[in-house]
Amino acid sequence: MKERAVLTGKHFMSGDDACAEGALAAGCRYFGGYPITPSTEVAERLARRLPEVGGVYMQMEDELGSIASILGAAAAGARSMTATSGPGLSLMQENLGLAVMLELPCVLVDIQRGSPSTGLPTMAGQSDVMQARWGSHGDYSVVAYAPWSPQEIFDLTILAFNVADRFRVPVLILSDEVIGHMVERVVIPPAEQIPHWERKGPRQPPPALDEPPYRSFQADEDDLVPPIAHAGEGYRVHFTGLTHNEIGYPEITPETHDKLVRRLIAKIQRNADQIIRTEGYYLEDAEVVVISYGCTARSARRAVREAREAGIPVGFLRLISLWPFPETQIKDLACTVKEFIVAEMNLGQMRLEVERCVQRPVRGVHHAGGELITPERIRGAIQEAISR
Amino acid sequence: MSKRKASEYQSGVKPIWCPGCGDYAVLNALRQAFAELEIPPHEIAVASGIGCSSRFPAFLNTYGFHGVHGRPLPLATGMKVGNPALTVVAVGGDGDGFSIGGGHIPHAARRNIELPYIVMDNNIYGMTKGQPSPTTPRGTQRKASPYGSLEDPLNPIMMALAYGTTFVARAFSGQPKELAAIIKAALLHPGFAFVQVLSPCVTFRNTYQHYREITQPLPEDFDRTDLMAAMRLAQETETLYRGIFRQDESKLGYVQRVREMRAQVKPLAGVDEVVEQYAR
Repeated sequence: MKERAVLTGKHFMSGDDACAEGALAAGCRYFGGYPITPSTEVAERLARRLPEVGGVYMQMEDELGSIASILGAAAAGARSMTATSGPGLSLMQENLGLAVMLELPCVLVDIQRGSPSTGLPTMAGQSDVMQARWGSHGDYSVVAYAPWSPQEIFDLTILAFNVADRFRVPVLILSDEVIGHMVERVVIPPAEQIPHWERKGPRQPPPALDEPPYRSFQADEDDLVPPIAHAGEGYRVHFTGLTHNEIGYPEITPETHDKLVRRLIAKIQRNADQIIRTEGYYLEDAEVVVISYGCTARSARRAVREAREAGIPVGFLRLISLWPFPETQIKDLACTVKEFIVAEMNLGQMRLEVERCVQRPVRGVHHAGGELITPERIRGAIQEAISR
Repeated sequence: MSKRKASEYQSGVKPIWCPGCGDYAVLNALRQAFAELEIPPHEIAVASGIGCSSRFPAFLNTYGFHGVHGRPLPLATGMKVGNPALTVVAVGGDGDGFSIGGGHIPHAARRNIELPYIVMDNNIYGMTKGQPSPTTPRGTQRKASPYGSLEDPLNPIMMALAYGTTFVARAFSGQPKELAAIIKAALLHPGFAFVQVLSPCVTFRNTYQHYREITQPLPEDFDRTDLMAAMRLAQETETLYRGIFRQDESKLGYVQRVREMRAQVKPLAGVDEVVEQYAR
């Protein structure tokens, strides 16, 4: 079974297929989803492949059911995932908040398309960035990664499962139609080289009936993550979306609420160095820095490389993790950089974040979605910034 | 005699329900059924939605999952396929199950997923203080329907039968022994088991007396495999029949279907294997 789960070797594969293979290599054994363009190929590949490795693929009746089912499977101990696009992610938001509140590890793949509403179902977009961060009600933190190639969606899907399990948090793969449908070389390493971070399990045996109850939401002091006990492992666990105490029982008080919500956010902040991923090019002496992610980062890299070849002091910061936002890295850059350019296939969602972090001019290169932003447009923005 | 006692399944949490609420009888019946079947508490997982009855998992000493409104079925389905060794039970109320979550019942039935779904039907939204629910009789005057509700109530038993549910039953909180027997039968059913429990809300819609008058057991000679006979009796509204309307064990449950499929799966050949085939 193990060798069927990890298709070690060199492949020519679409991003959606590579995402599915990343999930299988990571040990995903349950997928619940609902067909939606342009993410459907993730589901179709898993429909064929999961039964080969002893897993379950389920086409659910809607996206609300899809995410509810992966939370159920997560509580039963399975690595579980769903895949969707913007409209489906909107429908999943209530349960995404539940996953945050219950600290249930799971992976949500969003192959973004032109939005809002039904938008451009078959064309790319990057406008779910804020939906991924703030779409559910309340204060909370999630993790989101934006791959820029089929190889990277494979790698980041594995990382997504590891981060989800290690920190008990839902993790999003915020990809886009360009990457989902692009076919490129994907190298899958041998099974023993696939990184695997464990969920922390309970460190004491289940308490007897006359002993104090198991404290399933008692977080460890160092990482603020409580160990998880799955259904069937002998522990009595009570999950509720209501504000709960360390035993898991509802405790409807402002003090408990404030403490719980603050911990859920602090948990991500405290472990940010293990979660955040960025990649920098030509940053040392850069006067202008282009920030981009996902499919648009491919255009940005070319624009920056060409500008460098023309002797322009421009650098490039690629955001691999969008959430938590790599605030420190960007603040550090602002000490030496004169101007930032944010290139993204939406009308300025990440530009807002960059503007929040730096006291420097921030120029945007945007498009509402449907076609890739060209290197020429970004090159033009670099020229304007340099000659300002 | 069972080696387990119903009290073993009791958590330390006191129910939030009003004194006299029909849901106490359902809680007791479920504990009793678990004890009679001698299922260890940690091998049971109970999933619910939102509403008075959905607070249920907190009052049991089992694994419990109080999720969002209307989603106990997909949640329970995920748990069951995630760990088929578990005894998984979905519970909730009529608003949770027939209104916001109504879209999930046909699909649980189509899958014949191996779990009972117990709906505590009080014909009202109790937790939000008495708005009309999908089973509230038409014309009912409440704060949210001051001129009388305009919708007809749906018939949960007819609905479950029409969806092809393989186990369909109606019970009444005022008949606790019968209720426990029906829940036990639902737990033993190797597929999706739908149980509507008439479970009155003493605060906003006290129907105990009404149900004592209009309910009666299904006829003694009733055949649980006769779908048309079940439909005829389910249509009756002047008399509400209690008991098991349908019990069909001929269809495989979902977990069994998955196992059968897996046994037949032949992995697609890899590139090397294809090349080798042509080389020969």
